[in-house]
Amino acid sequence: MNSKLIQIAIENSDTIVQMWLEKIDSLKVDKFSSSTSDELFENTNREFVNVIFTSIKQQGSLIEVVAFSEKIITLGWPLSYITDGLQMFRRVTIDFILSNSDQVDTSFFSELLTSVDRWVEPIIHQLINEYTGSWEHILSIQRIALQELSAPLIPVTDGITIMPLIGTIDTERAKLIMENLLEGAIKHNSEVVLIDITGVPVVDTMVAHHIIQAAEAVRLIGATCILVGIRPEIAQTIVNLGIDLTNLPTKSSLKKGFTSALEITNRKIVDLKPKEDGIEEMIKSLQGE
Amino acid sequence: MSPHSCVKIRKEWDIVSARQLGREMAKKLGFSTVDQARIATAVSELARNIYLYAEEGQICFEVFETIERKGLRMGAFDTGPGITDISQVMQDGYTTSGGLGAGLPGVKRLMDEFDIQSEIGQGTQIKTVKWVR
Amino acid sequence: MSIPILKLYNYLLISIQTEIDDKTAIQFQEDLLDKIHKTGATGVVIDLTSVEIIDSFIAKVLGDVITMSDLMGAKVVLTGIQPAVAITLIDLGIHMQKVATALDLEQGLIKLYQELGV
Repeated sequence: MNSKLIQIAIENSDTIVQMWLEKIDSLKVDKFSSSTSDELFENTNREFVNVIFTSIKQQGSLIEVVAFSEKIITLGWPLSYITDGLQMFRRVTIDFILSNSDQVDTSFFSELLTSVDRWVEPIIHQLINEYTGSWEHILSIQRIALQELSAPLIPVTDGITIMPLIGTIDTERAKLIMENLLEGAIKHNSEVVLIDITGVPVVDTMVAHHIIQAAEAVRLIGATCILVGIRPEIAQTIVNLGIDLTNLPTKSSLKKGFTSALEITNRKIVDLKPKEDGIEEMIKSLQGE
Repeated sequence: MSPHSCVKIRKEWDIVSARQLGREMAKKLGFSTVDQARIATAVSELARNIYLYAEEGQICFEVFETIERKGLRMGAFDTGPGITDISQVMQDGYTTSGGLGAGLPGVKRLMDEFDIQSEIGQGTQIKTVKWVR
Repeated sequence: MSIPILKLYNYLLISIQTEIDDKTAIQFQEDLLDKIHKTGATGVVIDLTSVEIIDSFIAKVLGDVITMSDLMGAKVVLTGIQPAVAITLIDLGIHMQKVATALDLEQGLIKLYQELGV
């Protein structure tokens, strides 16, 4: 019975394809922006329906389906295009076969439904798998990228490390910051760690609490923590909220913080050539040779 | 790893074996090094409380999973004298043994969930959970 | 089980390698004070690199021994506290604010040298 139905479908594939193409055209209006050209849409539709027929002909082979799904995913078309298209195919095929059969009883009807389902279901299944697989992949990559961004640690020079923080800090991220900070300080053998909060939009009691705890932990492992990048409005909120940062060295800018970090590590920045000398030399060279 | 195991606390050295078991289970469950230390420390605090105040009791561990997450359940059970004022022992710095008074409030911060029940003359039950992040 | 205490000029060096139980901790407290008394040491470095857990009891013993050593004229520096240990101490609410710390044994010795001289 199934093979007979396959035969009918294949023999009449031209008609079914035609009916399907007419229906799928209605999808274009809702699902696609005008940026998709009519030509691309039409070609993809033809390829889509061919893939479906190839799969039916080859008794459910999914090789072409995989290749096609990759193409659609790259194009960035929505999953609903695929699922709606396949549902339409199911409906069109059933309609066609029913209207071209002489005797239609319930057993024939149920056989027909089962057969068409058997053709279409594996394709839907495969396509959804491909789609969600690609989503999950993107999501996991983004999650890793976000984690890398959320608590970066830069060893600028021997014994001094900077952690620039950008964006909102929640409890989860605060924990990550603390762990990265401590492990990084030990890994880079940092005597001083600078936490730069220039890019943190809001410092409330919770954020301040986490930063203080991180600084305390840094002190326990034997390093010094300096909080830098305190903007005027942050200083205001810190005091207005009654947050006590007296135990924590703070500096308004990274530059100042870095200078005191150098002091702590017994170093300072020296200009290799005094500026005045340079000007004198320049004047001499302009006057004479 | 059996999903449920207990350590009896009678001697001082049992505190060490309890926290070793806690750390081992946390490691197998996939907790980070920091969380392993948190769990082991919490076990140590609770085991010491049993040893100091109740003389005998046990620390039990249980791995459990829900649809969304998995975690380690850790309980401390004793049949000691019980605690008169729970809100008092949950305060930072409160101690009757000359310790730091960081034990119970500390355990609450180390773990994700914390529940304490105590009846005078009956004993104390503390149940905690740490979720795998 | 006891923790070995090594003498280096005016300093005492201790590296804690084993899991500390309560008895060992108390024993260590006595041993260290004895040794300070006998040697007249002015500086002590306690290295905790291999210590995986410090609970409130061990923290108290350590804090006490540091205060006691101070009373006897020996300054103590704790070195090599692991990140996980530092974080759990903070969670416990133990900040050890008056205790000197350093990243490792070497830095600890430098710190003592800077503050005390030889």
